[in-house]
Amino acid sequence: MSDLKQIPVVAKETGKERTNPLANVFDELIRFAQARSMFMLHYCTGCGAIELPPAMTSRFDMERLGIQPMVTPRQADILLITGYVSIKTLKRIILTYEQMPSPKYVIGICSCTVNGGMYWQSYATAKKLNEYLPVDLYIAGCMPRPEAVIEGLRLLMDNIKSGKSEPWKDYYQRYDYYLGNQQHLFGDDWQTPTDIIGEAEHFGLMGPETEGEHTRLLQQHQQPLEPHKMRLK
Amino acid sequence: MMDQELDRTLVSIFNEMEKVDYQQKSPRRLRVDVAPEALPGLLELLKGKASYVHLSAISCVDWIEEEEFELVYHVWSYEVNSLVSAHTRIPREGACYLSVYDLYKPAGFFERDIYEMYGVYFEGSPHMEKFILTEWNGPPPMLKDFDAEAYVQDTFNWQDYQPDWLKDLEEAGGGVEIRPEDVRR
Repeated sequence: MSDLKQIPVVAKETGKERTNPLANVFDELIRFAQARSMFMLHYCTGCGAIELPPAMTSRFDMERLGIQPMVTPRQADILLITGYVSIKTLKRIILTYEQMPSPKYVIGICSCTVNGGMYWQSYATAKKLNEYLPVDLYIAGCMPRPEAVIEGLRLLMDNIKSGKSEPWKDYYQRYDYYLGNQQHLFGDDWQTPTDIIGEAEHFGLMGPETEGEHTRLLQQHQQPLEPHKMRLK
Repeated sequence: MMDQELDRTLVSIFNEMEKVDYQQKSPRRLRVDVAPEALPGLLELLKGKASYVHLSAISCVDWIEEEEFELVYHVWSYEVNSLVSAHTRIPREGACYLSVYDLYKPAGFFERDIYEMYGVYFEGSPHMEKFILTEWNGPPPMLKDFDAEAYVQDTFNWQDYQPDWLKDLEEAGGGVEIRPEDVRR
């Protein structure tokens, strides 16, 4: 066993040396398991949602890939945004995204999430989704067929398996950038109930751009969160 | 066809009022042009005397060159099965008009919507706060002088265009199977 211990095991992401010689094997196993069991929250904002029922049910059967629809953000791994994102909806999407546990993945379906699509000159729709959230991949099309949706999900699975799909860390590491774009749309008093900086500290994901001028602006007016009072009628 | 007797009722209503100009557009549609001060009275008569009980919409048109807003009240009768559209024009600057909420309850929604989209204030309407555009602080967006495209250009950024997207797909073993020019022959 003494020989085994001399093999240096360096984690790819953090660069820290780990003591267990099987650590990287476990990582791979965990990633494999993660990629084969995903719960998807489909946030049906626009017409792309119509392609999801055939993709989910027996015709194209997403479940054979291990992907199932899930009803709550707190139990979901994938956030699927199908269609145009109005500014009002974007607020709700950000609230939903921040509630999801890490690791979490965002897929933007349809041309509208890429660049506004046919609503490109509308004052009420956001154009570039990846300015407000870290998007793993886009599935372009107006609307993409279920085959394309499944192809995109398979690509996401491959990325997870090979450890490439980590934009969710970017949200913690560059929170100032995302928050700045959100404040640009929603006004300076924008606040979500999730403490992203606190979470970043907790997970050890603080980056040089986690805090900046926009987070300072947030901290100026941020109101402490209070739990709802439980009442029986 | 509109009932002959009720048609006479309508005519008598219009004769009662001044500044009313009406024309029959089709068997079931009647267009009435009326001065702004006479419109609430006309609606009251239409509802009370001629069974036009359903206000199905209030629409607003921005006539920017004439500097006027046109308000169109569409009222429907279930007894004669016909629609009367009452058109009226108000000045565009500082646009303000009387609410008809006391006559027709649904008017509250339409007036609130028009106030949000065009900035026409309705006096006496119960809810004049924001309706759909709760996140919007700009000018009323349906006005002709609101340039949505210019607003979009300075508010939002655009995705970079990647002209090599097809090459990446072809490298991965995919690509376009039927090219558009093969289909449109």
